[in-house]
Amino acid sequence: MITGSKRVSDYKQLMKELPTLRHVDPEKVYINLPGERCPKYTVKVEKGDKVKLGEIIGERDGGFFKQPIYSTVSGVVEGTTEKTDPTGEKIECVVIKNDHQDTYHESITDRPDSVIADFKKKDFVEILREKGLVGLGGAAFPSYIKLDTDKDIHTVVINAVECEPYLSSDYRLIKDQPEDIFKGLSYVMQAVEAERGVIAVKKTKRELIEVLERELARFADLDIRIAELDDYYPQGWENATFEKATGIKVDVGTLPMEKGILGFNVSTCAAVYEAVKHNLPVIKRHLTVNGDAVKFPQNIRARVGTSVKELIELCDGYREDVDEVQVIIGGPMMGKSIPDDDAIVTQTTTSVLVFESAEYVEEPCVRCASCVYSCPVDIQPVSIMNAVKRNDEKSAQDLRADRCIECGLCAYVCTSKIHVTDYVRKGKALLQNK
Amino acid sequence: MEIVTKSSPHLRRPQARVTRMMRDVSIALLPLVVFAIVQHGLTALWILLAAVFSMAVTEYIYYQVTDWLERLKEAKSETEKSIRDLKAEKKELRAEARQKKTEEAKEAYASFLSDYKEKLAPLKKELKEENKKAPTDENKSFRLWNRRFTLTNFSVVTSGVIYGLTLPDRIPLVVVMIGGAIGILLAKLIFGGMGQNIFNPAAFARVFVVLSFGTLLSYETFVADGAAGATAMSILNENIFDSTVTEHYGIWTLFSGIGLPGSLGETSALLILVGGLYLALRRSFDLVVPLTYIGTVFLLSLSVMFAQGLDFWFPLVHLFGGGLLFGAIFMATDPITSPVTRPGRIYFAFGLGLVTFLIRIFGNLPEGVVFAILIMNMFVPALDYPKWARNRFSVRAAVIFSMVVVAAIIITNVGVHYVG
Repeated sequence: MITGSKRVSDYKQLMKELPTLRHVDPEKVYINLPGERCPKYTVKVEKGDKVKLGEIIGERDGGFFKQPIYSTVSGVVEGTTEKTDPTGEKIECVVIKNDHQDTYHESITDRPDSVIADFKKKDFVEILREKGLVGLGGAAFPSYIKLDTDKDIHTVVINAVECEPYLSSDYRLIKDQPEDIFKGLSYVMQAVEAERGVIAVKKTKRELIEVLERELARFADLDIRIAELDDYYPQGWENATFEKATGIKVDVGTLPMEKGILGFNVSTCAAVYEAVKHNLPVIKRHLTVNGDAVKFPQNIRARVGTSVKELIELCDGYREDVDEVQVIIGGPMMGKSIPDDDAIVTQTTTSVLVFESAEYVEEPCVRCASCVYSCPVDIQPVSIMNAVKRNDEKSAQDLRADRCIECGLCAYVCTSKIHVTDYVRKGKALLQNK
Repeated sequence: MEIVTKSSPHLRRPQARVTRMMRDVSIALLPLVVFAIVQHGLTALWILLAAVFSMAVTEYIYYQVTDWLERLKEAKSETEKSIRDLKAEKKELRAEARQKKTEEAKEAYASFLSDYKEKLAPLKKELKEENKKAPTDENKSFRLWNRRFTLTNFSVVTSGVIYGLTLPDRIPLVVVMIGGAIGILLAKLIFGGMGQNIFNPAAFARVFVVLSFGTLLSYETFVADGAAGATAMSILNENIFDSTVTEHYGIWTLFSGIGLPGSLGETSALLILVGGLYLALRRSFDLVVPLTYIGTVFLLSLSVMFAQGLDFWFPLVHLFGGGLLFGAIFMATDPITSPVTRPGRIYFAFGLGLVTFLIRIFGNLPEGVVFAILIMNMFVPALDYPKWARNRFSVRAAVIFSMVVVAAIIITNVGVHYVG
């Protein structure tokens, strides 16, 4: 296959139709203390303390921002333990035993619509900061910083593309709570005083578009449009989505805010609604348990802090006839393969994938250029690979290896089954070490 | 059950396989092979078999020999390493003693020297014994199937068949075999095997045969009927505007290739295009290269036609008369010897077309396709140079390229004016 192929089979047919399982009551939850962007933290509870749902139990420190940590169940604190986080490292977690009462903290109260209608940007920013909301698509960048931009925003883009194969969590979220998404979008538009809102969905997801259009009729007073995007990978990459949905090209390295675009993932958008309307932090999130080595794949709405092992057991566990499996947090193209299943669901966990470990036999590179033709950022992975092999820093610089977004397409399309992405990563590291 | 970690991506495209690509080329060549056998009888089959056989066997022998040499090196290494270490230590101590000139260093060197020979002697003895019994050693056993052997992924079959199809039917089998062996050895194996070669092995083999056994290759030599023996291209080689070529061969004859003298596989334009269509549908080659290559030759011949007031037979003969279609579809598209960017491939194919046309018009040879391919193969590293190779045309590159195209047309026509 010598072709600029950005098509990746999405393996979603079955999963899209499966209902969402409400996995609401784990016996214990494990709340991660350090976050993806916050290595430092302080704990405000001790062993034996009683906590309520939505109570602050600590604070993460990410350098230029602080982020409160919330309890996602009501119950008793049992101390701390070590668990694997989505990046595969061991981190400290607070263990809370669930009392199955779901007693809400006093601060969790609904805001009347009339109050919200008068909110300005600083009110929204304050709520999002207080609720510790981060980008739930996986980036984990604090949403309030994004919202608190001083640039003039004309369009808010909601990214519901979900281009990673095997994933159906955003799909289920839109089907289950379309109203939340529109309301969240209207809050964001109100905050930044944007004229337009765009919801970007893949063209092939007909059902979603129907659901969204039905809902759109109820928000006729807002200038919201549903953009139907082609079925390409990585169409969900922020810059690609913006270009296709609004026609404005955002270069690698520039912030979309400078072009007047503000982008949010669809689950972040729903969480904005929860935070503003119900004053809730992220308590639960949609996620997919899928893959060929798990017995019954499921869409699950799980509490943040649920153990991944428990979720896999909920899907009847691993297939017995498989010797070696990979457990992946995130999509199969960009997700991280973790060393053990003693992991936890964090705010940014979109999926847990269990695959039978496949061995690919590498053949010599035949320079077919599939990787070059497919690359979304127009670099030449094969040339970077050759530069890395001879440790040629200057060529890696000339080939602009630092532009790589690690989407994994080059390794996916490789005719010789070479792990090209790994070489490009090394090329990036080569430039960074300089 | 065990949990393993790997780096992303964790999926691979199922259809992307080297074997699939190479096998597709072989399948696309099948109609040509059948046509050659029908047209030329069993001789064609023998030539093709000789071409494939010579390439495969050469590769097999080469890899067995290099493996044998490698195994020889491995077995030696243990004892040899300790001897080398000992010698290095001696050198170091001596250097220290001479530089520092302290009593300590001198003493250390002297004490080391005293038992140096005693240490070295048993090691050398051991090495000798090892070398003696080495051939019966287990890790030196001969493996019948070599993992680097490319017969399994159709690479060598493809090269062999393409090479065979570029040869005329009356060529002695010995010459075919020498050409094939030299082609695969000098163009592919010594560069490091599949994926590392600079030159297309089939084109290299063909050029080697042309240059070394030229008299055996000229089509007239073996053909009884002289007139029918000359190919359209060699008629044009005598006089580039000789319109009698269309009297010898109608355009339909040139297109279908029935009863046409010439190389085994280059005569039937129709079947070559069928093969190209199959490859395009299977996406097993990059359509940009043959389109630009054929387009360039067509454009140049069209410009000459207008400048010289010729009829439309001129560009058509250039398209269907020689090995252009075969070379463009099966040889120039070899990905290993092409640049990796789309603009690079367009420049590459334009260069191929220009060189081919210039050789046909001005050169002494009737045909320039294989030479053009080898010449442009040399420019591939330059076209891929990190400083300027880009995935998309910039405005500047597009302007410069179109200026080069215009210049090429003008220079060709000025040249033709003086030659004609």
